[in-house]
Amino acid sequence: MSAHVTEPPRRPEHPQVRTRLRPRAGATRLGATARSEWIKLWSVRSAPAALAAAVLVVVVGGFVLGAGYRSGWASLSPGDRRSFDPTFTSLRGVQLAQLFVGSLGVLALTGEYATGLIRTTLAATPQRAQVLAVKALVLGLVVWALCTAASFAAFAIGQSQFTGPVPHASPGGPGVLRAVLGGGIFLTLVVLFGMALGALTRSTPLGLASLFGVLLVLPVAVQLLPGSVGERVDPYLPGEAGSQLWRVVPPSPHSLAPWTGAGLFALYVAVAAGAALVLVRRRDV
Amino acid sequence: MPGTSKRISNGSPPVPGPPVTALRRGRAVLTSEWIKMGSLRSLRATALTGLVFSVLLAFLVCTGFHSRWHSLGPETRAAFRPVDTSLGFLQLTPLLFGALGALVVTGEYGTGQIRGTFAATPQRPLVLAAKAVLLGAVGLALALITVGFAFLVGQGQLAGTAPHASLGSSGAAGALLGGALYLTLTALFGLFLGVVVRSTAVAVSTLFGLFLVLPVLVDNLPKGAAWRHTVPWLPSNLGYSLWHSPAPLLVRATPAGFALAGWVVLLAAGALASLRVRDA
Repeated sequence: MSAHVTEPPRRPEHPQVRTRLRPRAGATRLGATARSEWIKLWSVRSAPAALAAAVLVVVVGGFVLGAGYRSGWASLSPGDRRSFDPTFTSLRGVQLAQLFVGSLGVLALTGEYATGLIRTTLAATPQRAQVLAVKALVLGLVVWALCTAASFAAFAIGQSQFTGPVPHASPGGPGVLRAVLGGGIFLTLVVLFGMALGALTRSTPLGLASLFGVLLVLPVAVQLLPGSVGERVDPYLPGEAGSQLWRVVPPSPHSLAPWTGAGLFALYVAVAAGAALVLVRRRDV
Repeated sequence: MPGTSKRISNGSPPVPGPPVTALRRGRAVLTSEWIKMGSLRSLRATALTGLVFSVLLAFLVCTGFHSRWHSLGPETRAAFRPVDTSLGFLQLTPLLFGALGALVVTGEYGTGQIRGTFAATPQRPLVLAAKAVLLGAVGLALALITVGFAFLVGQGQLAGTAPHASLGSSGAAGALLGGALYLTLTALFGLFLGVVVRSTAVAVSTLFGLFLVLPVLVDNLPKGAAWRHTVPWLPSNLGYSLWHSPAPLLVRATPAGFALAGWVVLLAAGALASLRVRDA
């Protein structure tokens, strides 16, 4: 961290001057916290690597899945052809990318707890909730920008593969633009969810296990339940609800509407983040 | 340089005691690895979570079928296989066994203990072999207990209304042994993966990607020649072949077992190479 973060500028001893300066101090602190979080994000190897991997799997996924469907279209059953969602198919790399982005979110905090850096961070900025919020803002914006770009690239590459008899989507189609934007929004929510769970567990293995447990394991476990129980519970699970935002054709009649699902996922994230904000102020570091 | 071939004496007398034979060293390494494995809370917690999760899921799924059996359609009833249903947790429990295997070594890399381990025993392949032997033995015992207990609990719930199986039913013992083998091999897979990536986070994410996300991602692809020659050979699908009754397009149980072992051997080779060329 650079020196000006920890060392406040010298102020004149006049009380009037000090009160005059106070309103500006908050804004300075916010900027300094944001800058320090930005430096921390890019100075460890794991974060840029995870971001690069996430972008890569989204883009490459669009190409591989697109090529796979184009070459195998003739062997698809009529039912599979009817339910084929060209937008969703080209974006499915998002499912793999959530692993990288989720780990990034968890590690953003548990990494600091593991190395002890968190004590320095909170000593430099004792406004703990503010540190967490700024961290979430920086990480969220970076992930959103990169993953939205990756999502658009995957869509373009995927659609260019769908030629001949394979139906393809155009950005003007109903729900298509929303789905492509949704890929970036979904991954942003995943990184925030990971951050909140990392703040709650303060341990990398526990944080990862709880994040992937909720996002990936829970849907499989619920689908094992017989009959309509699984079908009725499944749409309300965080991962299922959130992924409606980047689909055009809903996977089941019970699925939530895109923005309803995304809103529910955002609500889960907000609850986890709220709990994290309360606990980070109460617990010792 | 003259004198380099002679032993340099630093004044201290040679350490008395029996000569270090390969057998003694092997036993000492096994003992120290055993102590480390037994004293880690994270390993106990992961193993216990795997057991409780599996039994609980088998209980929930089978109770669900038991209570709704009369409302299920004739097709669902005809397709119902009690052994497969009660072992459905085997789609998820391998993740915990893989994480268990990874934690055996990534924990040491995380804390720096690995440097102490390799300073005490510079024969690194021997250390890895000892870890693998112990993890294999403990993992197999744990897997047999987990699979067997979950099976009995599940069948106990099904008994009465739905068709149910016992240990003597045709295919049941094979499925249980196959499931236990799958779990054991995933634990070893996790161990060798952990040596290669050296980080809990990367190892756990890779396991989730390979065993949970990737199979779902490629499952719906058109089943062309490329699909048929690759997807059934993914570790998760090979494991599925080991415990599930034969599914179309997938590999049969025996070749699947060998192929999954092949994956583990491949990763073990990668782990040995990584131990040889990289600093601890």
